[in-house]
Amino acid sequence: MVTDKQKEFAKLIEPHLPSLYNTALRMTHNQNDAEDLVQDALFKAYRALDQFQKDTNFRAWVFRILVNTFITAYRKAIRQPQKVSYDDMEEFFLYKRLDETVTLQEVPKEEFLENLFDDDVKEALDNLPYQFRLVVLLCDVEGFSYNEIANIINAPLGTVMSRLYRGRKLLQRYLWNYAKKRGYITDEFLPKK
Amino acid sequence: MSSYQKNKPEFNCADIEEYVQQYLDNVLDEEKKRLFEEHIEYCLPCDKKIEFERKFKEIVRLKAKENLPHETIDRKLKELLENLY
Repeated sequence: MVTDKQKEFAKLIEPHLPSLYNTALRMTHNQNDAEDLVQDALFKAYRALDQFQKDTNFRAWVFRILVNTFITAYRKAIRQPQKVSYDDMEEFFLYKRLDETVTLQEVPKEEFLENLFDDDVKEALDNLPYQFRLVVLLCDVEGFSYNEIANIINAPLGTVMSRLYRGRKLLQRYLWNYAKKRGYITDEFLPKK
Repeated sequence: MSSYQKNKPEFNCADIEEYVQQYLDNVLDEEKKRLFEEHIEYCLPCDKKIEFERKFKEIVRLKAKENLPHETIDRKLKELLENLY
C-alpha cells in the first residue's frame, strides 16, 4: 500500500531521476553501482523528507544527499586523491593544440568537438579525479550554479571554482590525448612557424 | 588623447585568458563583463577562442548526458516506491 508520503516523494523525485542516474553513473563507472547509489540516496532522502524545507531547492538538496552517499560508500576508493600534475594546465589548451596542427588549420575548430563521440567525452570525464569530475558534472552537465555546488559538495566557493576550472582544462587535455591515440588527429604535432 | 582615455581601463588578451571561464559561466561583475566584451569585440583571435570554449561546454553537456528512456524511469520509480519503508 502506497502512502501519501510516498506518493508525494515520488512526485518530487521523478523529474530529477535521469540526472541523478546520470551523475551516479559517471561517479561509479558502472550501471549496477549507479543504481545502488541512487537507491541508497533516495532512501535517505525519503527518511529525511521532513527536514526538507518546502519552497527551497529540492534538486540541490537531493543532489547533496547523493554526493554524501557516494563519498561515504566510496570512502576507501577516494581516500587518496589521484595526484594531478598542474603543469600544462593552460587555458584554451585544446584550441591551441588544434591551431598548431597543420592539417586542421583551415578547418573550423568546432568541427573537432562535434566529431567527438559521446563515449569519448564520457570516458574523458570518467578519468578525471573524482573531485574534479564531480564539480564539472554538477556545473556543466547538470547546470548548477557555483553557490549551489558549494552547498552540494560542502566546500567554499573558491574550491568549487578552482576544481571546476582545473577539471575543464584536464578534460581538454584528455580529449586531445584520445584524439591522437584514436587517430582523429593524424598530423604530427607541428607548431606553427 | 585625453589623460582620461589613456588611463581608461581595458582588458588585454591575458585578461581574457584569466577570466574566460567566469565569463562563460556568467559570474563576472558588470564592469569586468563590459571590459571583457569590449576586448573580444575587436580582438578576433580571442573572440574565436571564446566561441570554441562556449562550444566545448555545450558539447560536454550534450555528449555526457545519458538518455534514459521513459519506460526505464517509470520502472525505477515503481521499484523505488515498492522498496520505501
